[in-house]
Amino acid sequence: MNVETGAAGDAASTPPAPQTRSATSRVRGVAQVALRYGMIWALIILLVVARLVYPTFLSIDNLRNVMSQNAPVAIIAVGMTLVIICGGFDLSVGSIYGLGAVTFATVSSHASPTIALLVTLLVGCLAGLVNALIITQLKVNPFVATLATSSGFLGLAYMASNNNPVNLAPGFDTLGLGQLGGIPISGLIAIGVLVGGGVALSRTILGQNIYAVGGSAEAARLAGLRVQLVRGSTYLIVGTLSGLAGAIDCSKLGVAQADTGQDLPLVAITVVILGGTALLGGEGAMWRTVIGLLIVATLTNLFDSLAINTSVQLVVQCAVLVTAVSFDHLVRSASVASRKS
Amino acid sequence: MSDRSSSPTEHLVRAVALRKAFGGIVALKSANLAVRAGTIHALVGENGAGKSTALGAIAGRLRVDSGSIFVGGTETTGISPRAAQSLGVAAIYQELTILPKMSACANVFLGQEAVRGGFLERSVMFDRYRALCQRVGVSIPPGVKAGDLSVADQQMLEIMRALASGARIILFDEPTSSLVNAERETLFRIMRELRTSGVTMVLVSHNLNEVLSISDDITVFRNGESTQTGPTSQWTRDALLAAMLGKAAPDLLASHRASDPVDAQAQPLIRVDDLHVPGILQGVSIQAHRGEILGVAGLVGSGRTTLLRAIAGLEPSARGSLVVDGVVGRWPTTARQSRRLGIALIPEDRKGQGLLMHMSSRENIGISNLARYSRAGFVRRSKMKREIRDVAQEFELDPSRLEQPVRNLSGGNQQKVLLARWHLAQPEVLLADEPTRGIDVGAKAAILTSLRASAAAGATVIVVSSELDELTVLADRVVVLAGGRLVEEFVAGGTGVRADLMLSAAFSE
Repeated sequence: MNVETGAAGDAASTPPAPQTRSATSRVRGVAQVALRYGMIWALIILLVVARLVYPTFLSIDNLRNVMSQNAPVAIIAVGMTLVIICGGFDLSVGSIYGLGAVTFATVSSHASPTIALLVTLLVGCLAGLVNALIITQLKVNPFVATLATSSGFLGLAYMASNNNPVNLAPGFDTLGLGQLGGIPISGLIAIGVLVGGGVALSRTILGQNIYAVGGSAEAARLAGLRVQLVRGSTYLIVGTLSGLAGAIDCSKLGVAQADTGQDLPLVAITVVILGGTALLGGEGAMWRTVIGLLIVATLTNLFDSLAINTSVQLVVQCAVLVTAVSFDHLVRSASVASRKS
Repeated sequence: MSDRSSSPTEHLVRAVALRKAFGGIVALKSANLAVRAGTIHALVGENGAGKSTALGAIAGRLRVDSGSIFVGGTETTGISPRAAQSLGVAAIYQELTILPKMSACANVFLGQEAVRGGFLERSVMFDRYRALCQRVGVSIPPGVKAGDLSVADQQMLEIMRALASGARIILFDEPTSSLVNAERETLFRIMRELRTSGVTMVLVSHNLNEVLSISDDITVFRNGESTQTGPTSQWTRDALLAAMLGKAAPDLLASHRASDPVDAQAQPLIRVDDLHVPGILQGVSIQAHRGEILGVAGLVGSGRTTLLRAIAGLEPSARGSLVVDGVVGRWPTTARQSRRLGIALIPEDRKGQGLLMHMSSRENIGISNLARYSRAGFVRRSKMKREIRDVAQEFELDPSRLEQPVRNLSGGNQQKVLLARWHLAQPEVLLADEPTRGIDVGAKAAILTSLRASAAAGATVIVVSSELDELTVLADRVVVLAGGRLVEEFVAGGTGVRADLMLSAAFSE
C-alpha cells in the first residue's frame, strides 16, 4: 500500500543521517536503520515461524479467517493511530465498540441494514464528540477523560440492552459474514479504512496538522493552526470507527453484548506502538500500524491454531507490549545520541 | 514616547500602554510602540526589560492585561496567532517554532498547505518551496527533517514560512543570537530586501551595532516600560547604553562588599579550568576564594547559566577540570557528585527546579539536610524543627508560616526558603542564578545580605545576575561572558566594578 511516504513525521522517508567517513559512525548508521525497521524483521521472522509450525497458515481459508477476525481491531487501530500521533490517547474505544454493537442490533429490528449502520456510525461519532469536548474544552487529560467516558459509555450500552445480549434481526449478516470475490467484506472494509487513514495522514491538511499538533501543540498554535479542532477531530474519527467495528462484530456474531470490547483499547494501542509510532505523538505512520497489526494477527492466529489457552496468550500480549515500548525508548535515545555526537 | 501621531495610516503597528504580568511578576508596565510602515523598528533594552513580551503581544502569542494594539488601524488586542497571521503579521521567535520531526517543506507550509480536492499538492509546494529558497538565497532540501538542520537553516525556514503566508509585518525576536557572522549577514540582506519590497519589520536584538546599522527607528525598553524612541540616525551606541541602564543604581542597594579584601595570593577554593560545554561554553576558566563573591555578567545566551549548571553537575557533556579545596577530581556530571564536593546551586527557575511547591517551607528547608537529623534512616523531627526555626528567623521568614506550602509565599520569601536550605547545609561553594529576579526591592536587599553572610562564613559564592547594579554593590570581582567565552574581568577597588563597563563588555562580541 502506498501510504508510507508521510512527508511529515516519517523516519523512513529521509535518508539515515548524512554519511560520514568514520567507520564507527557508519556502523552506528546501519544499527540505526536496523532499529528503525526492527519491527519489520520481527514480523518476517514471525511469519516464517508461523509457516513452519503451522503448515496451513497460508491457506486461503486461514487467511480469510485471519482477515475477518482482525477487521474490527484494524479499523479501531487506524483511529487510534491518528489519536496517538496527535499526542492523545483513547481508552474508551472498547466501550464505544460495545455501544455500537448494541445500537446496531437494536436498530436492526426496526430498520434496514443501511439505516442501522448509519445510526451506529452516528452514535460512535457522538461518543467521540463527547470525548473531544471533554478533552479540548474542559481540558481534561485524555487518559483521564477517556478512562471516565469508558465506564460512561459502557453503562449506556448496558442500559440500552437492559443488561442482556441483544439478538440481531435476520438478514443483517452481510457486514460480518459476507464475501466479495471470495474475500470477507469486513476485511475489505478494514483495508479500505487503513488505506483511507494512511492517505488522510500523509496527503491531507488534517494529516499534516495532526503531526504538527502532536509534535508541539504550542509551535502549531503559533503557526496559526486550530489546535483544539485538530485534536478533537481525531477523537471523532476514532469514535466513529469504533462504532463501525462494533457493527461489524455484531453482524458477524448475530448478537450484541455491551461488554464485548473491553480489551480492545489495549489491543489497539499495542498494535499502534508495536509498529513504532511514538507514544508521545508527532511521529509515526499508518504503514507502521499495518506492521503492528500483522504481528498481533499472526501471533493470535498461531496461538489459536496451536490451541494455546487464553491465559498464556494474555501473558504473551503483555510481554510483547513491554518489549515494544522499551524498544521504542531505545530507538529514541539511540537517535538522540547519534544526533548529539 | 511617541503617541505623537494619531493618524493610523502613518503607523502600521501601534501599541498603547501595554501591561502584562506573569503570576506576580510584571513584565510590561506601560509600553508604547509606533512602527512606521515599510521600516525596520528595533527594540532594545536589558534582559527582562519587556521587549519580547511586547513582541509576543503584537503577534497574538500572549494576551496583555490592559492596553491596546492596532495593526493598520484595526484593533487587534488579544487576537490569536491565527488571526494575527490572517492580518499579515508573522513572528519569528527566539525559541524557534520549527517542528523537528517534520520535513523542511512541511514546516514552511504548515497552516498554509497547497491543496486540490482536499489532497496536498506536493509538487506545487515543492515548486513554491524552491522559489522561496531562491528568494532568501539558501538551498535546503525540501524533504530533510527540520530537526536535522542547523539553527540558522531552521530560522530560514521560519522566514520562508512568513514569506509564504504573504506577511506584511514580520516580528523578529533575537534572530541573530544563535547565528554566526556569515549567517547574520545573510539575514540582514534578506531583511533589507524585504524592506525594499514594502514589508514592515520589528526587531528585538541585543547587538547594538547591528541595530544601529539596520534599523530605521529604535525604541528603548527599561523595566517593562518604553522609555525613549526615535529615528536611528539620532542614536549612538553610548546613548543607547545610557538609555537602557537608566539612572544610577537606587540607594536601597547599599554596598554588600566584603570589609576585608580577599587575599589573592591564597589558594582558591574553587578553580575551573578550560571548561567546555559543546555548543555553549568554549574554554572558560575561573577561580574564586573563600569569603569571596564572584559575579558573572553576560547576556542571555552568553553561557552564564550553563557555567553554573556545569559546576553543579547538571551538564553531562561538560569537559574541563574542577579543583575544589585543592582536590583535583573528575568533572562532576551528576548533581549528587557535585553536592559531595560541597557545591550547591540556587537555580534561576526556583519554582520548577528549586522548590517543591506543594510542600511546606519547613520541609523545603529540611529536604537537603535530612541526613543531619536522621538516625538509622529515621528523621528526628524535634531537632530538625528547632534548627529550622532558628535559621528561618535568621532569614526573616515568618515562623508562623513555616508549615504553609511554599507556593503561597511571595517570590522573595520563596528565595529566602532556598537560601535558608543551603545556609543550613553549609556548602563550600554556593552558586546562585539570578537570585533576585522577580523579587521586590526590599526582599532583594535581604537576599544580598544573606549571600554576603554565606561568604563571610567562609564559603565561596558565585552569582549570575542580569541586574548589573546589583553586581556592582555585591561582587568582589565580576567576570563577563560573551558567546561562551570569558571576555572581561573587573575587580572591586582597581578599575572598579561598573555597570556601564560590564554592559559594554557583554555587548563586545
